[in-house]
Amino acid sequence: MSATATEHAEHAHDEHHHEDPFWKKYIFSTDHKVIGIQYGFTSLVFLAFGFFLMMVMRWSIAYPDRAVPLLADLPWFQAWLDDGGKVTGDLYNMFGAMHGTIMVFLGIVPLAFGAFGNYVTPLQIGAPDMAFPRLNMASYWLYLLGGALMFVSFFLPSGAAKAGWTNYSPLATTTDIHYGDLFWTGQTQWLVGMALLISSSLLGAVNFICTIINLRCRGMTWMRLPFFVWAMLVTGFLLLLAFPPLEVAAIMQLMDRMAGTSFFIPTGLNVSGMSFDAAGGGSPLLYQHLFWFLAHPEVYVLILPAIAIVAEIIPCNTRKPLWGYKTMVYAVMVLGFLAFIVWAHHMYITGMGPAVSTFFQTTTVLISVPSVILVTSLLISMWGGSIRFTVPMLFATAFIPMFGIGGLTGLPLAFSLPDLHLHDTYYVIGHFHYVVAPGTIFGLFAGIYHWFPKITGRMMSTKLGHLHFWPSLLFMNGIFAPMFFQGMAGFHRRAFDGGKAYEQISNQIFAEPNTFIANICELLHVIPADAPVRMIDLNIVTSGSAWLLAVAQVPFIINLFISVFKGDKVKNDNPWDATTLEWATPTPPPHGNFASEPVAYRGPYEYSVPDADEDFSPQFEGEAATVGDSEPEPAAH
Amino acid sequence: MAESTHDWSKHKRSYMIVCGALFVGTVLTLALAKIHAFDVGPPGPTAGDYVMGLSVAVAKSSLVALIFMHLNHEKSLIYKILLFTFLFFVGLMVLTIFADLDPIVEQYDTLQTTHGALTEKQ
Amino acid sequence: MEIPYEVTPRRDTGLYNAKLGVWLFLASEVMLFGGLFSGYVFLRLGVQEGVDNPWPWGYNVHGPYVWAGFINTLVLIFSSVGVVFAWVALKERNWKAYQTWMYIVVACAVAFMCIKTIEYKSKLTEHHGIKFQDNSVIEGKILDQTDKIRFEGKEVSMSLQSALPAFLKDIDGDFPTFTVKEGPEGTEGTELNSYSDLKSWYLKQRREASSSLAEERKRYRSELDAGNANPTPVSVVTSATLTAGEPFKLHGNPRKIVGHSDSALNYKDGSKVEGMLIDDTVKFEIHQVDMQLVLPQKQKDSMVWEVVDDDSVKKQFFEAQAKMYKEMRDYYEPRGEMIPEKMLRGHKLNLQKVHMGGHHDEEHHAEANVHKSESKPSAEGAAEEAHDDHGHGEHAYIEVPREKIKFMGNHGPRYGNYYAIYFTMTALHGLHVIGGALVLLFFTVFGKKLYLKNPEHLANRVEVGGLFWHFVDLIWIFLFPIFYLF
Repeated sequence: MSATATEHAEHAHDEHHHEDPFWKKYIFSTDHKVIGIQYGFTSLVFLAFGFFLMMVMRWSIAYPDRAVPLLADLPWFQAWLDDGGKVTGDLYNMFGAMHGTIMVFLGIVPLAFGAFGNYVTPLQIGAPDMAFPRLNMASYWLYLLGGALMFVSFFLPSGAAKAGWTNYSPLATTTDIHYGDLFWTGQTQWLVGMALLISSSLLGAVNFICTIINLRCRGMTWMRLPFFVWAMLVTGFLLLLAFPPLEVAAIMQLMDRMAGTSFFIPTGLNVSGMSFDAAGGGSPLLYQHLFWFLAHPEVYVLILPAIAIVAEIIPCNTRKPLWGYKTMVYAVMVLGFLAFIVWAHHMYITGMGPAVSTFFQTTTVLISVPSVILVTSLLISMWGGSIRFTVPMLFATAFIPMFGIGGLTGLPLAFSLPDLHLHDTYYVIGHFHYVVAPGTIFGLFAGIYHWFPKITGRMMSTKLGHLHFWPSLLFMNGIFAPMFFQGMAGFHRRAFDGGKAYEQISNQIFAEPNTFIANICELLHVIPADAPVRMIDLNIVTSGSAWLLAVAQVPFIINLFISVFKGDKVKNDNPWDATTLEWATPTPPPHGNFASEPVAYRGPYEYSVPDADEDFSPQFEGEAATVGDSEPEPAAH
Repeated sequence: MAESTHDWSKHKRSYMIVCGALFVGTVLTLALAKIHAFDVGPPGPTAGDYVMGLSVAVAKSSLVALIFMHLNHEKSLIYKILLFTFLFFVGLMVLTIFADLDPIVEQYDTLQTTHGALTEKQ
Repeated sequence: MEIPYEVTPRRDTGLYNAKLGVWLFLASEVMLFGGLFSGYVFLRLGVQEGVDNPWPWGYNVHGPYVWAGFINTLVLIFSSVGVVFAWVALKERNWKAYQTWMYIVVACAVAFMCIKTIEYKSKLTEHHGIKFQDNSVIEGKILDQTDKIRFEGKEVSMSLQSALPAFLKDIDGDFPTFTVKEGPEGTEGTELNSYSDLKSWYLKQRREASSSLAEERKRYRSELDAGNANPTPVSVVTSATLTAGEPFKLHGNPRKIVGHSDSALNYKDGSKVEGMLIDDTVKFEIHQVDMQLVLPQKQKDSMVWEVVDDDSVKKQFFEAQAKMYKEMRDYYEPRGEMIPEKMLRGHKLNLQKVHMGGHHDEEHHAEANVHKSESKPSAEGAAEEAHDDHGHGEHAYIEVPREKIKFMGNHGPRYGNYYAIYFTMTALHGLHVIGGALVLLFFTVFGKKLYLKNPEHLANRVEVGGLFWHFVDLIWIFLFPIFYLF
């Protein structure tokens, strides 16, 4: 260890011969680590923005007849709230559409794939950089441009897109169609922005796959790849092959809006009582097929990196090898394959026949098998270990049950019959958000806490970490658990007044007076004492939890910024005593990453190897004989 | 592969032959569509004609892929990538159409018999 | 820092980075065009007979331009061969030959795009169609942009909360001097002499309208908060009326207009022009009558004949149709089969070329019809159309009243799904051609330095660029038959 450390120091000295100017080093950088940080920072900003949109929506759901506090005086909101300062349907639709779009395409995917993938993947495979560094930079800037367009669209006269994050035609095609300048409407800019984001993801995917296949260091055989890299490889393929059909859908819808074609406009469409001026003959279902062909694999793009981050953190903190590494690798590949042929389970209510829906029900149930294998392996990995409950480990541990709830509640939706009842209710929202909010986002938080010492050379505060974790866990469940009950009762997910109009549904009693839940609700001032909790009262529980969740993120933001400057310095390059290659680099890693050419001597998770000196045996330490002989020759420098 | 002493004349000849074959194929496609004698089945373009036209296109594109894009001797990794791409492409096309052709209720039959009206005129 | 395997292949995968990268990129391109091909098949199979616009046979539409598709196919194939030869030349270290081949390739790309442009231009400016309220269609040419509504404007009104009013783009000729008649306080009487004047005035008023709306709402809410259950309602002037100093000409784009009367044009975006209607009939030069969406028993009383009002044209149509029917019967009856319903509704019977007005001779026409029955009707019809294109003078035009029109347009992407997917796919393909050609041109013009340094690296680049180029060629090989022929 000490020998390598001195080598690092020497090399670090050599590296400083030609210092790049600031803009080249930190802004138009081709270094995968800087790009990773750029991705991370941008996507966290977008996540916060998407969260803010949701808080406004939750106000409208919980208190549809009260003015929005704080925001009503802001100039932008003046134009969109009604006279009394209440949220209008248009505003709700706009925020709903953009919340989904921003969270999925501008928040989580860039954070998971762009930020972590970029930063960690080349380090873990022992590569000096990505295979195409300039392409990598281009993909970040395309992403930023697409994001900027989406953001700017809020300030257009038409406002941002309003047709849901799925942007179904013909609603999306006809929304705001009366504007003179169609190009500068939010709905059109959504499509342009998506085309840019898709191009960015495609470039990224090509780059990742190429890097993983071609730039593995000496000794890094396929079965020595950390699970994170496997997940990135599969995610890369999902993006590479699933995104183009959405690009096609976006182009077609753009043509529908701008050139007046009718790809998705059926014959005889009437809009607001008037015949829609188009040739007709198109099919709205074609859009849904093309959209969900991407959007289902997209769910795995959201979840796989999180699972993979958790799979890195759990062995490190249980000091045990990852249980069933090979099984997990095969499971993730099967998952990637099946992800392409399940998409129509989002479309059961479009009137597809029994043969097709049987096919898609079968594949959907099949895909739960590899998912369960992944989660079970993680669970078993913890069995019997002496677990260090560090902050990343807390998040990783919480990830498992949260993702489990999200996954299991998805099963009823996999079958067309229960789906007919649950489709478009809050149940679906609850299910999906359990997967991506307490699921993926906890995984990503875990990743931030885990790799922060490598990125900055300082540890994040544990106290603030706990202050972040426990409330987050509580309020995440406070938000999404009530949704299941509301959904099963029949609450429609798109009602901007929170279902007030549906008296019968909203007055259904959720809990009798003086029960445990009723007492909690009374404590929260949701209901008066001695009154039953109605389904609609749960709106307030949910919304309250959402705002408190926002408060719970404050310690994290403070922690993130303070720790960069004031955190405890790491004691060595490998503060968690982990085994994978990223911990072999100097801290923080310089441009070019490794001080000397790395070699992988063993598998990625060799913790507590019997007869070893320490309880971890890093990949980068070992005997030359264990490199194996089917390796590529050393890189030709 | 990298050595410049390699004899390329054989390659050049095969490229020329492929070029010729592609030209012939193009003329053939045109002939299939335009010349009455090649019309399969009932008069006018019908399923048989499409199949024949597309077969020629498939043959032509295979030539381009195999010879010009060197897919006749490529690394196994690329075959694997292309195999999966092809599978997903087929999945996208077939399942989409499959879903459309299997509606839960029969679509309203808009055709009304037209024979009568036309025979009247004769 | 250097990235490994930029030039030499990695031993265990046998690939250098760029080659692996381009194949991955091509895989995603396969899915991109795959999505479009799926869309093509989906839309084509999804055509509901008798309801949706029929899917034309390629040569029905492309009749005069099959040559364009054909030559373009040959051009692209030849350019593909050129790239391989350029690559071989590099392998043989023959810079001159490499450069020559590459310039040939780029020239082919330019030729391809030129032919494409001719085709597009003809579709967009030479061919039009009108669908009547009863779904009968006439094909031909709209003369002198008469699809536009000719109008003389005197007064305009607009909302101040939207984008610039749509009528501005339709103003024909000199921009009039507008005077604000009604509008936000203090703006009355303002004179706006030019487009840019009006634009900056509009944007300013929009800003001010939104800020005064904000003020008003603030007041409204504060009154509410103060316990007043019924505050004075919010009232802000959010519209303006402008009068023109002198009447101005408008060529109203019918797609932007929801309705018009003798005295007003109502635009989709809420703006309105008042004045006097000059003329709104469409002058149309008729080439073909298309009855595919009309039931046979209703064809004789179709709206087309009200508009055409020329018995000889009607006769031509039904004579030709009867001939077609006989030809079909001659095919099916000896086989003991019924003529399929699809055939009866399809192009063969219900799309016939007609000729009206002018000084054409009956002889020639009858001959053409006889000729038709021997071969595919539409192909012949289309070829004849090409012939007719030389003599526009022969055609007389008809005047189509606007209220009978359900849909009208050029043969652009809007005209139907065939046209939509044709334009989308060929345009996307065209973008690929342009992109590929630019990259190859870059390798040719700026490649010398790299060639002298490491010719193998340049050869790799050309191979990778060539792979993309072949893929573009490969796509076209499919586009040609599915759009131009079948």
